[in-house]
Amino acid sequence: MEIATSKGGLRLLRLFFAFLVVFLYLPIVLLAIFSFNDGDTSFPLAGFTTRWYERLLENPALLHSLQRSLIVAFISSSIAVALGVLASFVLVRRRFVGKSATSALFFSPLVVPYVVFGISLLVLLTAFDKVLISATGYTIGLGLHAVVIGHVVVSLPYAILTIMPLLERLSISLDEAAQDLGAGPSQRFRRVTLPLLMPALISSFLIAFTLSFDEYAIASFLAGNSTTWPVYLFGQLRVPSQLPEVVAVSSIILFASLLLVLTAEITRRVTARKYGEQFAGRGFV
Amino acid sequence: MTAGLLSGPLLWLLLFFVVPVLFIAAYSVGAVGVFPTDTGPISFGDWTRFLHGGSVYMSLFWKSIRISLTVSAIVVLMAYPVAYFLALCVKKRKYVLLLLIIAPFLTSYILRVLAWKIILGDKGVINSFLVFAHLRAADHPVTWLLYSQFTVMLVLAYVWIPFVALPIFVSLDGMDKSLLEAGSDLGASRFRTFLRVTLPMSLPGVFAAFLFVFIPTIGEFVTPLLVGGTSGYMFGNAINDLFTRGLDWQTGSVLALFLLLVVAGLMLIFGRFVQVRTVAS
Repeated sequence: MEIATSKGGLRLLRLFFAFLVVFLYLPIVLLAIFSFNDGDTSFPLAGFTTRWYERLLENPALLHSLQRSLIVAFISSSIAVALGVLASFVLVRRRFVGKSATSALFFSPLVVPYVVFGISLLVLLTAFDKVLISATGYTIGLGLHAVVIGHVVVSLPYAILTIMPLLERLSISLDEAAQDLGAGPSQRFRRVTLPLLMPALISSFLIAFTLSFDEYAIASFLAGNSTTWPVYLFGQLRVPSQLPEVVAVSSIILFASLLLVLTAEITRRVTARKYGEQFAGRGFV
Repeated sequence: MTAGLLSGPLLWLLLFFVVPVLFIAAYSVGAVGVFPTDTGPISFGDWTRFLHGGSVYMSLFWKSIRISLTVSAIVVLMAYPVAYFLALCVKKRKYVLLLLIIAPFLTSYILRVLAWKIILGDKGVINSFLVFAHLRAADHPVTWLLYSQFTVMLVLAYVWIPFVALPIFVSLDGMDKSLLEAGSDLGASRFRTFLRVTLPMSLPGVFAAFLFVFIPTIGEFVTPLLVGGTSGYMFGNAINDLFTRGLDWQTGSVLALFLLLVVAGLMLIFGRFVQVRTVAS
């Protein structure tokens, strides 16, 4: 007998699952359909066109904001992964006083609403600038650097959560073998631990990248005049005439990110099948 | 050695996370000033105005609590059967199907909200379809679809369901399946086994899911701005407006810090029921 559910129950669950998939994907699919619609975003469809896609290539503000977001996402996720490796290494391999407090601090950005964190950094940076200008006459101001700072903070816990489980499963004896062969601590870290961690590094980079690329709340407070893509997108939503164009670029990004996620996951599974689960790291799922 | 490795991540979080939060705490009581117009020296005026006398912000806070609680509950109730189905009933390809549910979460947040704006608007998909099908006159669209509390809750639920499926799935999938057999061998019905075995075992995941929807939605201001109109205005919008429009940063800091304290309190009470690891694997 099937214990988890009865036959009728199973049918209901299957139906509900299908319903949820439709509910989740229908809006996205509609967005994509309207991006090819030769009219506004309403029924009936007016005919097929690619002009929204052509137009977006001639929109420098939009392209710049995309470029800025790519830069911010790349830098902030690189820093987050680097800091995440260090933090995970210490949390897994070392014992020290105040370890549980330290780990609580590392994970605390997970539970702080982004709006609170965003304005905190905004107030601090503004106050710092006031001091700086009276002392030196210069200001740092807001901008992409501020967004990077904020995004590293919020993606660091995700990086640690992705790297730590793999590090825990890595046998310490590999490290000890390298030590017996005369490798110093930093050489062991670079030549043994780091390469073995590579799958986790890649997936934590991808997670941090997606998080940063899509992040609006923090960026809206810290970006200043260098609008990132979500900030630009949000601004455009209030101008209805721009909507079809935004919908076009939106669907490109939606499908590109879906593709990225699926590729990352498939790569991870192939690695898992080839080298065993312990070297595959944890992916999005 | 340990201190050396730790200094990077620790310094980053202290400088750019702990210090800013402490700074707005000091700022909210006027212990430090940013603008010449800020009140100082130390006064709790903004705090008392906010906490007492039925302030607008306080009622907004309770409204946001109501909205967030409803959304979190709906989302958990919707995601639980799906997680249950994937973890316990599906044999083949359950991870692929799980990815199917989660993938939308990894795409743009604003775009998913935008999609609903297009669907629910006065000239949106639903209304234009109703007109097209002659169910509704063109000048009488169904207006409550957009810019209402209902819309905010619908869209927030839509946005968060994929995220919530994961922690519940992880807790159900990690469960020892022989416990279910033991339950049925001992004569318990399926429903009883579920109530006494499966449900309690999955509660850590459910708690995690609930909290990790509740926390971001209580500070939410993007979705209400896009689809909420005036009746969907939330506490997070008040904070956002105080900083970007009203320019009363001190009151804004009071509200932000209050929100942080509430969330921290919730974490202290319920945090031990939550396994952080189930959320971001």
